[in-house]
Amino acid sequence: MPKTDLGPPNYEQFLPPVIKENYGSWKYHEIVKPGVLKHVAKSGDVLYSVRVGSARLLSMDKILEYCDIADKYCGGYLRFTSRHNVEFLVSDEKNVEPLLNELKEKGLPVGGTGNSLKNIIHTQGWVHCHSAATDASGIVKAVMDEIYDYYTSMTLPAPLKISLACCLNMCGAVHCSDIAILGIHRTLPKINHEMVQKQCEIPTLIASCPTGAIKPNPKLKSVEVNPEKCMYCGNCFTMCPSMPIADPDNDGVALLVGGKVSNARTGPMFSRLAVPYLPNNPPRWPEVVDAIKNLIDVWAANARPGERYGEWIDRIGWESFFKLTGLPFTDKHIDDFIFSVPSFRSTTNFKW
Amino acid sequence: MSEDLRAKVIEYLGKVDKTKTRDMADNLKEKKSDVDKIVKELAKEGKVEFLYIGTSYVKLVK
Amino acid sequence: MSEDKKTPLLDELEKGPWPSFVTDMKKLAEKKPAVKDVLDQLELSYAEKKGHWKHGGIVGVTGYGGGVIGRYSDKPEEFPNVAEFHTMRINQPSGWFYTTDALRDILKTWDKFGSGLTNMHGATGDIILLGTTTQNLQPAFNEFSEKGWDLGGSGSDLRSPSCCVGPARCENACIDTLDICYNLTQEFQDELHRPMWPYKFKIKVSGCANDCVASVARADFSIVGTWRDTLNIDQAEVRAYANNGYDIKGMVVEKCPSNALEWDGKTLSIKSEECVRCMHCINKMPKALSVGQEKGATILIGGKATILKSAFLSWVLVPFMKMEPPYDEVKDLLRKIWEWWDENGKMRERVGELIYRKGMRVFLRDIGLDPVPQMVAAPRANPYFFWWPEEINK
Repeated sequence: MPKTDLGPPNYEQFLPPVIKENYGSWKYHEIVKPGVLKHVAKSGDVLYSVRVGSARLLSMDKILEYCDIADKYCGGYLRFTSRHNVEFLVSDEKNVEPLLNELKEKGLPVGGTGNSLKNIIHTQGWVHCHSAATDASGIVKAVMDEIYDYYTSMTLPAPLKISLACCLNMCGAVHCSDIAILGIHRTLPKINHEMVQKQCEIPTLIASCPTGAIKPNPKLKSVEVNPEKCMYCGNCFTMCPSMPIADPDNDGVALLVGGKVSNARTGPMFSRLAVPYLPNNPPRWPEVVDAIKNLIDVWAANARPGERYGEWIDRIGWESFFKLTGLPFTDKHIDDFIFSVPSFRSTTNFKW
Repeated sequence: MSEDLRAKVIEYLGKVDKTKTRDMADNLKEKKSDVDKIVKELAKEGKVEFLYIGTSYVKLVK
Repeated sequence: MSEDKKTPLLDELEKGPWPSFVTDMKKLAEKKPAVKDVLDQLELSYAEKKGHWKHGGIVGVTGYGGGVIGRYSDKPEEFPNVAEFHTMRINQPSGWFYTTDALRDILKTWDKFGSGLTNMHGATGDIILLGTTTQNLQPAFNEFSEKGWDLGGSGSDLRSPSCCVGPARCENACIDTLDICYNLTQEFQDELHRPMWPYKFKIKVSGCANDCVASVARADFSIVGTWRDTLNIDQAEVRAYANNGYDIKGMVVEKCPSNALEWDGKTLSIKSEECVRCMHCINKMPKALSVGQEKGATILIGGKATILKSAFLSWVLVPFMKMEPPYDEVKDLLRKIWEWWDENGKMRERVGELIYRKGMRVFLRDIGLDPVPQMVAAPRANPYFFWWPEEINK
């Protein structure tokens, strides 16, 4: 019998000596250049971290390539970030430039620090998920190719965090991102009545619907869906595989903007709907790429230094946001779920 | 006491295909945390396995 | 058969400067038939605009109810090597620090028993190993266990806690995020491996209010480092920023959300009682400003994504808690919350949704916390409040 309930190994064994010696005693840090952080300890010790963007979906060989690099320049120490970057932890300043040269040679992107585009966090998509309304890795690749220079430079007004979730389950929790790419369905689940009987608990299935759109159908010993109440969240499919909701002709992508998670200046904010629907157009999703490019360009041209996406919109107002971006404002943009009313405007103060 | 409950849990699991421990505790009129403790023991012994369909269910290993 | 298949659509994703997962997977596919089938099935998805995976079925390792996600192709005849293609979640070390020896060791086992595909890392924080067969799960786990690695959470259980880089490499860390994360994960192994709750429960630990692991947005229980006294100002360093032409007034003082800072061209001063510790000024002038001395954490509760009853941002539960080993106070609080949630929660109801349904007053009373103004953005604007029986004249 194997040992169970070991938990993860203690992190201490994976810390490079400079970190062990200066644990909790760092004084300050600076960004030497895009992708290169310099942390200075109270002792005077210095640690350089070189940040490299990864595709998140990695073969073991790609990770072994990272290992080889870390062995060569970092004494075998590296870490990953919460946004799928690899950080090479360099204790010896002499190794920084040779490391950067090798990374360049290998085509590994260095960046994602300060006022830059951060690596896109995302979910599995069609590569490995049963409920995906769109792909994840493919859109991310297409978007990052287009706005690559924002990752490797620090020319934006403020940090820009883009996230993608391939369905409303939001394994990627995109709901607080500067720009969120969200896979959506637009049509009712198709009920396989025979299989619902066999595979699913009907009371559980009915309870799973957040709008009460699912009712029992005693004649068929199955359920039916009220088309006026269903908003295509797919939660019923999660509970019951006999309620498939994928629809190739209608699934696609929505874009939401203006969220953040940090408390700096303003508290965390939700992303809000900018573009209700763009089609799934693999392999490179040109409509999504163009829309994101436009969203970034308008912000970059109009925001004040230091203004995150949502802070910029707060200052200018949503009516100005739609005007500047040229995006149509539709009935989809007005909330009609359970917490809608506070999002309506109850003042005569607005702009034309 | 806990031997009794253990027997009741095994008997209950023998009668159903799968169950949520909440439902099992309600039907047995026992505290959920007591039932959970037994189920965890049985899981560690390899007698119970878990199933995930939107939420977690337990069932006897056949 | 499958080697004849071409992937013209995916090939388009080999172009461009960002690292291509397709190029990476194609190389791996040369030695892993399963990866070849993943690519071919993905090509079909790109042509049809539709996924081809199914969920369900019992997969797992003996004694555990979490850590393995069952995944099956819905076209097993066409893609036999991914007929079973399950995910294993390996609980990550705090802060995602590794030695290359450790990574190579993990990959050796994964090469032996799986597809060689990974995510570094999953949204919750685990090392995600994508693609193995039902038959290989137990032997893979046995070998990981032998090497000192364990599975993370999945299903209706405690998910693997995660944390920011913390005191390992950040001057802003007000708490030892790595140790807290490790200690809580070790303490709650049973909760992590044997799902018994209404739904999932996530814990994330951030060292300061910058919240680099998005704990307020993404965790049911958010631990965010903070301090109670005054932040430190090194006036010489402030002047150095000014002498270098940095716009202290425009970029720092005028952006302070509570107008707590003043700059007269020589001295930067702070009205400590006005400071809300948002981190903005410290972020902008890291050499000159630093967090205070009396450190601890704010505990927030209820964060989650949209499914089911809207997304919630965690809200303040304990404005300040000292965070020192063995962290008994936070463990006791967690146990009380879990007991209450487990007793009262409906299936797939996150703790935040349950508090919303039952009311904060009931929750606070049941877990024994007093209400304080820091918990709310504003008091209620309606007169629909309840009284407890003992508050009414008999």
